[in-house]
Amino acid sequence: MVESKKFEVGSLVICYIIMAIVLVLTVYPLLWMIFSSCKTVNEFYSNSWLPPVQWYFGNFITAWTRAKMGVRYLNSLLITGTYLLINIPVSMCASYSFSRLQFKGRKKLYTAMLSGILIPTGVLTLPIYSVMVNFRLINNRIGLAFVYAGMSVAFSTFIMHTFFVSLPKGLEEAATIDGCSRFGAFARVIVPLTKPGIMILLIYNGISNWGEYHLASLVLTTNAKQTVPVGMALFQDNQAIEYTVLFAALTLATVPLVVLYVFCQKAFITGMTAGAVKG
Amino acid sequence: MSAKSKAPKSPLMRESIGDMLFPYLMIVPAFLLFMVFTIYPFAFGFYVSFHKWDGLTAMKWLGLRNYINVVTDPEFWAAMKHTVIYALCVTIVKNIIAVILALFLARDHLPGRTLFRTATYLPVTLSYVVIGVLWKWIFNPTFGLLNPFMRAIGLGNYIVGWLSDERIALYSVIFVDIWKWIGFHMVMYLAGLTSISKDYYEAAAIDGASGWQRFRHITVPQLNSTIFTNILMSMSGAFTANYAIVNMMTGGGPNGSTEVAATLIVKTGLKYINLGKANAMTFVLFLFTFAMGMFQLKTISHDENYE
Repeated sequence: MVESKKFEVGSLVICYIIMAIVLVLTVYPLLWMIFSSCKTVNEFYSNSWLPPVQWYFGNFITAWTRAKMGVRYLNSLLITGTYLLINIPVSMCASYSFSRLQFKGRKKLYTAMLSGILIPTGVLTLPIYSVMVNFRLINNRIGLAFVYAGMSVAFSTFIMHTFFVSLPKGLEEAATIDGCSRFGAFARVIVPLTKPGIMILLIYNGISNWGEYHLASLVLTTNAKQTVPVGMALFQDNQAIEYTVLFAALTLATVPLVVLYVFCQKAFITGMTAGAVKG
Repeated sequence: MSAKSKAPKSPLMRESIGDMLFPYLMIVPAFLLFMVFTIYPFAFGFYVSFHKWDGLTAMKWLGLRNYINVVTDPEFWAAMKHTVIYALCVTIVKNIIAVILALFLARDHLPGRTLFRTATYLPVTLSYVVIGVLWKWIFNPTFGLLNPFMRAIGLGNYIVGWLSDERIALYSVIFVDIWKWIGFHMVMYLAGLTSISKDYYEAAAIDGASGWQRFRHITVPQLNSTIFTNILMSMSGAFTANYAIVNMMTGGGPNGSTEVAATLIVKTGLKYINLGKANAMTFVLFLFTFAMGMFQLKTISHDENYE
């Protein structure tokens, strides 16, 4: 008994040591970024490890104006917002139809659409760029949002499938007997029951779209249209900037997501793992 | 809602044309988007891959010449080699580390685990651009964090040019990709582990099974589907989703040692303005990812049968 207690304590200690190491590895680089962004250039060189002795916030103002963060935030909001507004309702409708309705060709059409998951977005990027060049859609933000929506519609439809299938049968019939149209039954009865699925789409698609760089960097060619990641990539290429300002820009690009994450971390983690486990 | 539709209560009325079309109307928008922005570009890219095209002037038919250029291009095969190394390393290391961590943390009472989980999951939410730039500075030989740290713990002799040494740079980038996702996979494995019923372990303990035996004969089989999903998730995209991070950290250098297929394709298309060859490369890369994708689709449809 004594022996096993000792073993218990020992393994607990090992656990905490491992947790501490992993914690430092994951969190310290981010803290370092924030610390560095709040230092003067002199302090960055003299005290590069620890929190600033004198907190200096001027870097943020410089970064905000020089990296044109305001415009880029608006562009990112516009593109991600439009993308989600198209992608989620459209794939919800399709997924509902595929999961709960009977019609001719259902299985074939669903398989055809799922085959879209076979084409990785990284493979699709250059062909899409070619199409956008061909149709003079370069630098068109709304066009890009539509492209994003189309690229991920198969995936979203697939993710929602489990949520529709798991609802009890006969819900729609009850609703139509109560006087709902078929679409009304979907919109008023079924959709509210799939909130966890909608959360997953919002979080997963929202985050990956907010950070999308590959296609955006090819398509958005002028400052006035660029998103936060594209702007950040260009900004770090600029040789003339100070490191503290660069870190301030990185922090500005990161903080909104981190704040969002800290407040909804439960939804984030359960949402993404649930989606992944089911997907 | 009752005002809008006068409840079609008789079964005869319910089979109106609108009702019959309803399932199709619901999938039309998604299908249109899918056709226009996935299937059409795919076909168009394939078409372009047989042409000489700069994006502005008219296309010129080349037949298979782009493909011959691609498969005889040593630069392309070097990039493919880096891509495969990248995908394999990322997939294997992510999963092994995540399983080990999850095994350590999956115990009944571990105060502070939630906080730990929240913190390690943080990098998942950040974009590759931010992470790439940040780590480029951590690896920086003059101002970075890593070298002073290594000197401080007495490993100063092992300092190398993390991003400037041709033999090392690719692995530095791979490390950062793993760093970003480790928390995500760990959380998934933790969820899988905590869902295994305690009864199995109790029964095994009564039978006198050793720790390894319990791991081998209970944990692994019970965790099978979780392992499977995790491997698929980290593998899908590992071949093609590395454009941002490579571009941020090394830009394909030094001396092409971190050039992966995704970056070479963009370079060919935009810098050398050769959209035909770039699209041809895309489709050779697609062939590589296709085999894996088929495998994935099989498991997806298998799950469907299961339901």
